[in-house]
Amino acid sequence: MTDVSNTATPGGGTSAGPVATQPSQPPAAPPAPTPSDTVTLTIDGMPVTVKKGTNVLEAARSLGIDISAFCYHPGLPVVAQCRQCLVAIEKNPKLQPSCQQSCGDGMVVHTTDPQSTLARKQQLEFTLLNHPVDCPICDKAGECTLQKLYFEHDNADSRVDVPKVHKAKVVDLGPTIVLDQERCILCSRCIRTCDEVAGQHQLEFAHRSDHEILTTAPGELLDNPYSLNTVDVCPVDALTAKDFRFTMRAWELEATPSVCNGCATGCNIEIHHKHGRAWRLVPRHNPDVNKYWMCDEGRFTYHPLREQRLAGATVDGLPAGWDRAIRIAADHLTPILTVSRPGVAVVLSAEYGNEDNFALARLAQAWGVGVYVAARPDVPSRADGRLRVADVNPNRRGVQLICEALGLASRPVAELAGEVRCLVMLGSELTGLAPGRIAELDVIAITTHERGAAATAKIALPAAAWAETAGTVTSEAGRVQRMHAAFAAPGQALPAWEAVVRLAQAVTNGGAAKLSFAHARDVFKDMTQTVAAWKGLTWARDVRPLALRFAGSRG
Amino acid sequence: MSTAHDDKHGEGERRHDLGHGHGEAAGPVVLSVSDRHPRVRTIQVVRPRSEDSSFLAATAKGLGITLKHFARNFFLPMRKAQARSKAGAPTDDSWRNEIETVQYPEEKVTYPERFRGLHRLMLRDDGAVRCVACMCCPTVCPAHCITIIPEESENKGIEKRPAVFEIDELRCVVCGLCVEACPCDAIRMDTGEHARPVEDRADAIETKDSMMGRGIHSIAVQGGEGPDWRGHGVE
Repeated sequence: MTDVSNTATPGGGTSAGPVATQPSQPPAAPPAPTPSDTVTLTIDGMPVTVKKGTNVLEAARSLGIDISAFCYHPGLPVVAQCRQCLVAIEKNPKLQPSCQQSCGDGMVVHTTDPQSTLARKQQLEFTLLNHPVDCPICDKAGECTLQKLYFEHDNADSRVDVPKVHKAKVVDLGPTIVLDQERCILCSRCIRTCDEVAGQHQLEFAHRSDHEILTTAPGELLDNPYSLNTVDVCPVDALTAKDFRFTMRAWELEATPSVCNGCATGCNIEIHHKHGRAWRLVPRHNPDVNKYWMCDEGRFTYHPLREQRLAGATVDGLPAGWDRAIRIAADHLTPILTVSRPGVAVVLSAEYGNEDNFALARLAQAWGVGVYVAARPDVPSRADGRLRVADVNPNRRGVQLICEALGLASRPVAELAGEVRCLVMLGSELTGLAPGRIAELDVIAITTHERGAAATAKIALPAAAWAETAGTVTSEAGRVQRMHAAFAAPGQALPAWEAVVRLAQAVTNGGAAKLSFAHARDVFKDMTQTVAAWKGLTWARDVRPLALRFAGSRG
Repeated sequence: MSTAHDDKHGEGERRHDLGHGHGEAAGPVVLSVSDRHPRVRTIQVVRPRSEDSSFLAATAKGLGITLKHFARNFFLPMRKAQARSKAGAPTDDSWRNEIETVQYPEEKVTYPERFRGLHRLMLRDDGAVRCVACMCCPTVCPAHCITIIPEESENKGIEKRPAVFEIDELRCVVCGLCVEACPCDAIRMDTGEHARPVEDRADAIETKDSMMGRGIHSIAVQGGEGPDWRGHGVE
């Protein structure tokens, strides 16, 4: 059941390591192909051996030769529509689109010869005929394939002196997307994305020639759970996300690799952030989890990072410093632990990372108190057999494995024992517990958000959310994936495991082992030595944010 | 170790020489010479003794120069005017022009045509701001003094415009790169005014309205809807 081999191997690092951070990598080569499965060809004088069936464009990319292309996307069917990737192949009288041309044994390909270079340059000029070139107001500027190729290939003024053909701007395509038909270069990536990723054919071309436009069926909307992938694949900015439109320029943003916390799938993402907050989430290629895609709901999970956040420790709803809050919590817990141990219980959260849960589970084990798990209820309508699953908790599987490994009998928090008077809980929600019962409890909450049970907690300790701290989550498939801190947590918030350590060190009930973690890596190390399924996992090197202005085009 | 002692000795000698006024031709005492670049050397710095570093004489000399200029400004133009009147020429106030002092703020010098002064935001034909919030100027600004918050315009031809456009004139280094970077001729520094003195730092922040107040209409091609620009469109 547990699938960690691809994600985190001994000595390799978990999946958000340095290797996996680069966007749009070609699909990973399959393990050790037999000689008959491969072909050897020569591209620009360099021999390359690839798997049979690989196209010339991918083979060239594996050599570091970036043949320009608009319509080709490694995750989509090939249509050879933009003609931007034409190359010369010896013994072939005409130029061939390298995205559609499969590699053959002994093939000799030229990408820099005058004929194909001129063909690509002229093709680009053709593409630019009616493009509005409104880069100053275009959100794609800075990460636009057309912009990049223009500087690489052409870099000359338009030779056309007749007015450009104008089409509709700011077309409202649906709840998430605005279309600019002028900017569209008719590459059909978005059409194929809707077909392949969402399985819904909602976009189509209409009319012909220079009046051809991208559109939906009359009266229909582009409305599917994966619609924003079309914005990612759009090589220009014909499709803009309403959520991101006109907020930031691409070159201002920095990217930090992470994992989506929207559900149990654990799609690999990049957090694009600046000024201490996230501005958008985009999928990061992982052939084993989400390929090139993620769902729209996951993309919006950065909004709660700025809503109802707890920025400082509170006692009885009033602001208190960390030290005072921890002391009061310890003063409150110590007598109960000494006199009636079953009066205390610990609530783990399936919405928090492995390290946070493991630290609290270790504490529960040391104190010898009951363990419960809080999780958001399943949403069965989400499950679609693609990326979305019913379980909307990012780490339910991880909490389960941690409890099993530590020998803790965990139960859902709805089944809280009647004798419990004091709860040490991770997170803000006690799903399934009656409000009257919550009011009876003395809650010590380590929480990112000030809502639910945490809003009325006796003591609330501010925790850093998933995008603000280093940690790991375990997907439904048992894959442990690394998240990196993108920006600082608000106010005095600390990683939740650190709050647990502070609490553990303050409570003197005698006999309980003190937790002595100094870094999330320490927690991870203890965890991998404890949980059998995670044995051999290594802590990936911390990743520095990459400024997108240096990342080149993401198109 | 021995060199240190020698140097001390040498320094003492030089001080002595300085005091008696006959200089030493041998040049400064060289402590070490770079292997790679023989001209790069470490030398012994000779500082004047306290009795030599009295600035009384220099102060008197400086005062003398000031007085000389004062006397020249005071008497010379008048003497010239008297000479003119003696020669029978009509008396006038032209001698005042020979005094360099400008009576600011009543009198102001005219700045050169390309003087970079306070910013202004240029206007479209209908008086709206030309800026499309492309963020080129805050990107290029070395002083990070420009703050723009974009918003969506109701005009579909314009699409994007700044909701907030602020320049902190205290931070601005008046380099003019924002003007160079602007693709729309939306920001200029050709007002001919220098940054105003303010009593509060917040007053030095130029807002969109204050900069549009100085704005004029540009003759550059105007984006957005209009007969020349977008009149040829299909429906």
